[in-house]
Amino acid sequence: MLLTRWFTALALALSVSAHAGEGVLERPPERTYDIIIDSGYLNVGVYRDFPPYSYEEEGEAVGVDIDVGKRIAEELGVEFQVHWITPDETLEDDLRNNVWKGHYLAKRRIADVMLRVPYDKTYAYMRDSTGEVINDQVVMFGPYQQERWQIAYDANEIDSVGTMAVFQYYPIGVEIDTLPATYLTSAFAGRLRDNTHHFTNVHQAFQAMADGEVNAVMGMRAEIDHELGRYADQDFRAANNGFPGMGKQAWDVGMAVKHTHRQLGYAIEAIVDDMVREGEMAEIFERHGLRYSMPAFYEEILVADDEAPRS
Amino acid sequence: MRLNSIGKPFAVSALALAVSSGAYAVTDEDILNDHTTADDVVSYGMGLQGQRYSALDTLNADNVKSLQPVWAFSFGSEKMRGQESQPLIKDGVMYITASYSRAYAIDAKTGEEIWQYDARLPDGIMPCCDVINRGGALYGDLFFFATLDAKLVALNKDTGKVVWIKPVADYKEGYAITAAPMIVKGKLITGVSGGEFGIVGKVEAYDPETGDKLWTRPTVEGHMGYVYEDGKAIENGISGGEAGKTWPGDMWKTGGAATWLGGTYDADTDTLFFGTGNPAPWNSHLRPGDNLFSSSRVALDPDDGSIKWHFQTTPNDGWDYDGVNELISFDYEENGGVVKAAATADRNGFFYVLDRTDGSFIRGFPFVDEVSWAEGLDENGRPIYTDGGRPGNPADAEGEKGEPVLARPAFLGGKNWMPMAYSQDTGLFYVPSNEWAMDIWNEPVSYKKGAAYLGAGFTIKPANEDFIGVLRAIDPKTGEEVWRHENRAPLWGGVMTTAGNLVFTGTPEGYLKAFDAQTGEELYRFNTGSGVVGTPITWEMDGEQYVSVASGWGGAVPLWGGEVAKVVKEFNQGGMLWTFKLPKEDS
Repeated sequence: MLLTRWFTALALALSVSAHAGEGVLERPPERTYDIIIDSGYLNVGVYRDFPPYSYEEEGEAVGVDIDVGKRIAEELGVEFQVHWITPDETLEDDLRNNVWKGHYLAKRRIADVMLRVPYDKTYAYMRDSTGEVINDQVVMFGPYQQERWQIAYDANEIDSVGTMAVFQYYPIGVEIDTLPATYLTSAFAGRLRDNTHHFTNVHQAFQAMADGEVNAVMGMRAEIDHELGRYADQDFRAANNGFPGMGKQAWDVGMAVKHTHRQLGYAIEAIVDDMVREGEMAEIFERHGLRYSMPAFYEEILVADDEAPRS
Repeated sequence: MRLNSIGKPFAVSALALAVSSGAYAVTDEDILNDHTTADDVVSYGMGLQGQRYSALDTLNADNVKSLQPVWAFSFGSEKMRGQESQPLIKDGVMYITASYSRAYAIDAKTGEEIWQYDARLPDGIMPCCDVINRGGALYGDLFFFATLDAKLVALNKDTGKVVWIKPVADYKEGYAITAAPMIVKGKLITGVSGGEFGIVGKVEAYDPETGDKLWTRPTVEGHMGYVYEDGKAIENGISGGEAGKTWPGDMWKTGGAATWLGGTYDADTDTLFFGTGNPAPWNSHLRPGDNLFSSSRVALDPDDGSIKWHFQTTPNDGWDYDGVNELISFDYEENGGVVKAAATADRNGFFYVLDRTDGSFIRGFPFVDEVSWAEGLDENGRPIYTDGGRPGNPADAEGEKGEPVLARPAFLGGKNWMPMAYSQDTGLFYVPSNEWAMDIWNEPVSYKKGAAYLGAGFTIKPANEDFIGVLRAIDPKTGEEVWRHENRAPLWGGVMTTAGNLVFTGTPEGYLKAFDAQTGEELYRFNTGSGVVGTPITWEMDGEQYVSVASGWGGAVPLWGGEVAKVVKEFNQGGMLWTFKLPKEDS
């Protein structure tokens, strides 16, 4: 049954009371700040098989989010432990399964903090049709990067990507069930739809570009930059086009903890804030061969800071 | 007892066969005639047609009040959740599956466990809608069932030891199996479940003895079917002839249409019937076209999996009606002739009667009180869409929450997975149904796997203050609702009917209930301690008639919130198998 994608957190509202009868042992552990420090480790939730953010290489957890998680653990004075997240159909599901409630198959398996959680006030305070705040079980905080959409193209096939109109003539690859997939199959009255090829992930779309099946790929900028690095022997290039009519073109990415663990959130927020301001975050991305954009959250603050002495 | 004249000779011949091929082996004849034999239940559906009708009448409307529990069996451990299974019974042994891909053999006289098998499930499986299993199959000396990580498991039915395990699909790609497999003409047949990760539905046949694949038939237009000879795959035609007829671009490659509820078989026309789920992606505006063979009934040749015909209930499904419901073969007389029909009650709220020889539409009508998304069906059974009834295109939402569209039934369906039953005595279908609606709206602020996304929000709402579930007796010839029984919580368990003028089903409130098949009067109720979302069976042992049903609240309903949650949130989980009988002195 293909229903869970509908899961807005209306489902969440019932969960606590509905499953209260399942017994103490089935509840996720309440790992507050003090308990985490005493335990000597931090469970950092990151998505599984999700380069360049978090993935495994020869059995080792690697990626920018892994590096960020390791720095947080180091600053807290505890050991970094990776908590791999198998993505569900929406972020609400991932927050429920990994941050505040636990997945019903493994309720005690929980992350102390989850990374790569979009930081968006509208989203954080979103209400359902009955007026309930959907994500009231978690606190979303600590934006550390701004992510955006990006196209890469095969310069042997396409001279340049000035506008999206070129994809009326050239096939383009995209990950299934993503915003670019929706955009390419619905924008411009569906005129790009027949040239849109769907793949399991961005890497497979790049492989198809190497095989000549598609001449371009659309994905998140860090994913695209990472694949451009892997296919450096090909004449694949990043495009500079805009995405007219596309709703969300750039968004801040931060973290989430359970709403009862705010003290932990404050501690981590301070660490990450320092990393962003002092340029360490940019260095991590650079080390992985990725462009870095500071969260929009900081652009406003830093601009205000710059202006402050003058006024 | 009227069954004697038909059933007994058959049992004798089956036994003779069994003896010749090993002690108490289950034969093709046992399975083909399951619906006529009283002392065993060796198929999901109490017969391959899936009528769930027993000719036993020892237990009847007059004496059902004397039905008594004789034993109860716990599935054990902390693993509870939904118990949606149907037991099988053969030679005094009951075989049943339970949540988390577990299987059991139990002494049907005493309730003592003979063996238990727990599938080792990998970390990281993400089943969409609870960790349920709907049942197994018996053949020869093997018991078969399928697991949440999309494998078929063959166990020795006497010892529970593994004989073979074969992956049907890769769980990492989003596949699972929860439905009961079936044995047809010596082949083990199964479908697949899957989430929204671009899976492609299929039906496959395996050699029960070895687990070797015999044929595969994708249920999305454009994919090649194969038969296997000596381990080699031989092309057997593209489903629907070619790609791209009813799908734009390459979307057929990831088209969905999971066969997640298993199938039925009609020996009369030698046809397998499988329902197929909704198309992917969920936003119907991205995939203009009918999107075959999603939300359809597909008729297959059991020998090689070729598609004989299809009937689509919700073309370009935009409501997640996911029309996977079982198609039940039945005959009726009209104008002095016999009509070879088949009926299905779809998630979308319509009841369809088809000609099962060619899939042509005979008639259709709503079986729920109100259908909002379509004004009716045309002469070919295609829905006549209501203006403004389709959820809007999220891609058109400009940063604002879209206007909600009210759709009825809700996506959980006028009827969901729970099988209905057909009585050969009353000529009525007994349909476990629900009255609910949903608001769907576009949610422009939405995220998925670290990225901006365009989602839809929804709320399920009961359509009435005091009830959601309705058990209905439906006349397939007229569309008339002959009787109804309302239930406060949504009905989520299967139905069985008997020649004793009885209809059995369970409720989330915990009751096993029996009704007068003609009038709908409630004649019996017994509280099993947790919600009943399994499917009852009946059989005869030592001259007494027995009834068994699994108990354990769960399934998809408790995973959703809103107003429905208020009705069901106090229900406790469980994991029991209850067996009842009519004591001899009361019959």
